[in-house]
Amino acid sequence: MDENGRPMLGATVTIKTTGSVTDENGSFEFTKLCEGKYQLEVRFLGYKTKSSSIRINSNKIWNVQLESDSTSLSEVVVVEKHFSLGATSTYSSLSGKALQETMGKSLGESLRELPGVNTIQTGPAIFKPVIHGVHSQRVLILNNGIRQEGQNWGAEHAPEVDQFIASDIVVVKDAAAVKYGADALGGVVLVNPAKLPTEAGVGGQFHLIGATNNSSGVVSGFLEGGSKKVPGFGWRTQGTIKKAGDSRAADYVLSNTGFEEQNFSLSTGYHKERKGIDVFFSHFNTSIGILRGTAVGSAADLANALEREPPQYTTAFTYDIKPPRQSVQHTLLKVNAHTNVGKNEFRLQYGFQNNSRREFDFRLGALTEIPALGFQLQTHTLDADWERSHSDRFQSCWGINVLYQTNSKIDGTQTIPFIPNFDHYSAGLFAVEKWTLDKWVIEAGLRYDVRSYEVVGFNFQNRIYRTSLGFANFSGTLSGKRKMGDYGWLTSSLSSAWRPPNVAELYSLGTHQSAAAIEYGLLLDEKTSEVKEFAKTAQVEKAVKWVAGYKVENQKISFEVTGYVNYIFDYIYLRPRGITQSLRGIFPYFRYTQTDASFLGVDIFTAYPINSFITLTGKASLLRATDERQNDFLVFIPSNRADVGIRYQSKNANKMNWNIETKLRWVGMQTRAPKVITPREIITAQEQGIDLIGQNPDNFDFANAPDAYMLLSISAGTNWKFKKSKLDLRLSCDNLTNSTYREYTNRLRYFANDVGRNLTLGIHYSF
Amino acid sequence: MKNLKFVFSLLIVGSVLLFTGCGKDDPKPENIPEAITKATLTFTSDGSAPVIVTATDPDGDGPKPRVLSGPIALVKNTSYTLTVTLINELAKPTDPEYNVTDEVEEEADEHLFFFAWTNNTFSNPTGNGNIDNRADAVNYNDKDAKNLPLGLSTAWTTANVASDIIAGTFNIVLKHQPDLKSATSKSTDGESDLDLTFDLSVR
Repeated sequence: MDENGRPMLGATVTIKTTGSVTDENGSFEFTKLCEGKYQLEVRFLGYKTKSSSIRINSNKIWNVQLESDSTSLSEVVVVEKHFSLGATSTYSSLSGKALQETMGKSLGESLRELPGVNTIQTGPAIFKPVIHGVHSQRVLILNNGIRQEGQNWGAEHAPEVDQFIASDIVVVKDAAAVKYGADALGGVVLVNPAKLPTEAGVGGQFHLIGATNNSSGVVSGFLEGGSKKVPGFGWRTQGTIKKAGDSRAADYVLSNTGFEEQNFSLSTGYHKERKGIDVFFSHFNTSIGILRGTAVGSAADLANALEREPPQYTTAFTYDIKPPRQSVQHTLLKVNAHTNVGKNEFRLQYGFQNNSRREFDFRLGALTEIPALGFQLQTHTLDADWERSHSDRFQSCWGINVLYQTNSKIDGTQTIPFIPNFDHYSAGLFAVEKWTLDKWVIEAGLRYDVRSYEVVGFNFQNRIYRTSLGFANFSGTLSGKRKMGDYGWLTSSLSSAWRPPNVAELYSLGTHQSAAAIEYGLLLDEKTSEVKEFAKTAQVEKAVKWVAGYKVENQKISFEVTGYVNYIFDYIYLRPRGITQSLRGIFPYFRYTQTDASFLGVDIFTAYPINSFITLTGKASLLRATDERQNDFLVFIPSNRADVGIRYQSKNANKMNWNIETKLRWVGMQTRAPKVITPREIITAQEQGIDLIGQNPDNFDFANAPDAYMLLSISAGTNWKFKKSKLDLRLSCDNLTNSTYREYTNRLRYFANDVGRNLTLGIHYSF
Repeated sequence: MKNLKFVFSLLIVGSVLLFTGCGKDDPKPENIPEAITKATLTFTSDGSAPVIVTATDPDGDGPKPRVLSGPIALVKNTSYTLTVTLINELAKPTDPEYNVTDEVEEEADEHLFFFAWTNNTFSNPTGNGNIDNRADAVNYNDKDAKNLPLGLSTAWTTANVASDIIAGTFNIVLKHQPDLKSATSKSTDGESDLDLTFDLSVR
């Protein structure tokens, strides 16, 4: 800020040798800093250069006032991130203001704000992140540094993470397998909480959010503090409560789409200059309803449901959650420690997770009260790594990851378990080396993983089977980053990764929630129910991904373009394979099948300040996915989409400022969708003795891809800064025109329209 | 160096602890009360042997196709009572889950049988059944607590056909209609618990 309190665009801020330039708000940011002391210098023509020495051990906001050459505040956000992020990887992040604007939404939904990230959705409450077209077992979520382990094999299984624990969320879009483990083949989502305070005093944040569409309310907050007596000791206690009723489409209520969530976390830590230890405990508890009209018993029911609008069982708005519904609890205990010895840093962390999932369906009589599917997944992880700065120009990081996991069915479901019980052991060793040259940063990494499964399950006759299998392979990465001019960077990364199939992909059997289809794992013979041998039947997935990008950020423009090619060999997906019969009628059945798939795409992001008040923004994601072996399309691939926005930011008065923003989102129709065979056509053919699915070699979908749509949103926010506290108010309206649309990647598109207009009011207070 | 040793010894101890799991115990098998593995349709008439057809699917949702016996061979101009029994052979005959008919009866207010047949097979009910149109005639012998029909027992009189019906069909559908069952709820409402089409002949 200048002496009149106006933000100063284009001030140069330097730390050691890296530099940054303030934007139109007078803000600047340094990310990926190591802990330690830094000399910060702020320069602006006509003003006195100001320098100060600051100690960085957590995200810090630094306000700097400049006196005219002969002064005011601006925000400096210094985000420390580990070397582990990879200096040369392609990533996007949500933090600060952008993160706050997504508060109240689920993790998956918030991530859609980032270029290249989409979601697979089951209704208004269940979002799974999709990075560059791939999802589920191919996307790893690191919740506070621990790999999130839940039942993530179904499209209706959202990550069990309280978004409010995050102070920033980073999406790594390279095949980041080398650093994070074999299944990070599609990318990684890092949910990072703020570091614990190390200085005395108490602080906190409170959020109160209400939305009209589903008449929902969210209360969340945390309190944190440090100790005067024990310098370096810090603590934080955090909690979130959400309650939502049925969402509403433009013309009708989406009955039974309400949800509830209660989460809390506790953390404490002790940090000294060269060492530290943290303990973190969190509990996540949710109950989610699934649109009742999706409950179908056979192909005939599915045909009826697809032809009906509004869906069956549409009733008046309610907060009640009836079957089909899910109840999910996730508990995490994490202990981590680090120490610096000379130029070395050692880090060690242990995590224990307990995930229980129960899914309730409409069943005969009192069975409706007991889950049709119930599993408990317990995971122990141990990670150690050693980072060494050989010199300013050469750093390395070596590490080991160990995992032990057991999955057990919850007894008493009175159904044949959909996935077997199993023990899972994994271990991985990796090494990443980084060289920093004048204009270049080069990174190379190699990893070796072993994994084994010991499986006990039940076949369709409810008889026990046992089997065990093991996998081992290498992954590697080579990436580079080159400085282009004063403000630009060119990055390129080539990585190879592999992924052993998940147990669900190998052995799943039966039906699960709101899928009127029977699913068979890769290793189950649909003709004989026998369990086949892996080596003779299937392959592990292997991928080669190349990501290249150019990024420029200065006072005139911020622009980023990323292109990628991801070729996945032996890509595992659910493919419709035929018709099976029971006394309830006929069902389509799906089998996990392997093919070669390619994902080719471009993400673009730009922000262009017209003047110091008005900024134009644009974002686009283009994706082309192909089933290369069959020269066909894949189902549920996000269509091309683009956003344009305009934002007005008020003059930066000392105490209060405000902004208003409007955005238009265009989502194209997915023209690269497989052909359509409707359930009605399947039934009609079946009556004439023709198995339409069995004789069809191509991929297909039950309904046409929905039309393109546009959504308009508008939001306005204001904040007051007091001496030590800050109050933020934000009012936003999504789908302003209450338009009727269906999203291709939302599984509810078969049954109902997507949600209509939604007005959200958020109050955020921090001190 | 001390730290380094500590870290690695912890790592080794941890790994050893983690990997000394024991063999997996056998999980307890579940009862599977909902599967209907055998449906029997019994047409009884005074003075002649009952006509019985069955549909069996020993592996429930499993890959093996169901097997329907038949045809339902009825005598013309004769009155029959049709009773339906549903059993689940994945449970033991002594288990309460074995007899699904009882379950349906207990939940009569959520269940309804629908029927469709080759037009003019019967003189009573006439027509082709209530699957295409709920208002069409079917003679239900049983009612639920709300006085709505159920259909575990139904009454039929074959037509006095001039020429034999050889390639007729008889379609029986059981719908689970929680909160939906009414005097007008249709065969497309709710979820299918049973959907079978038998061959039918009348001579």
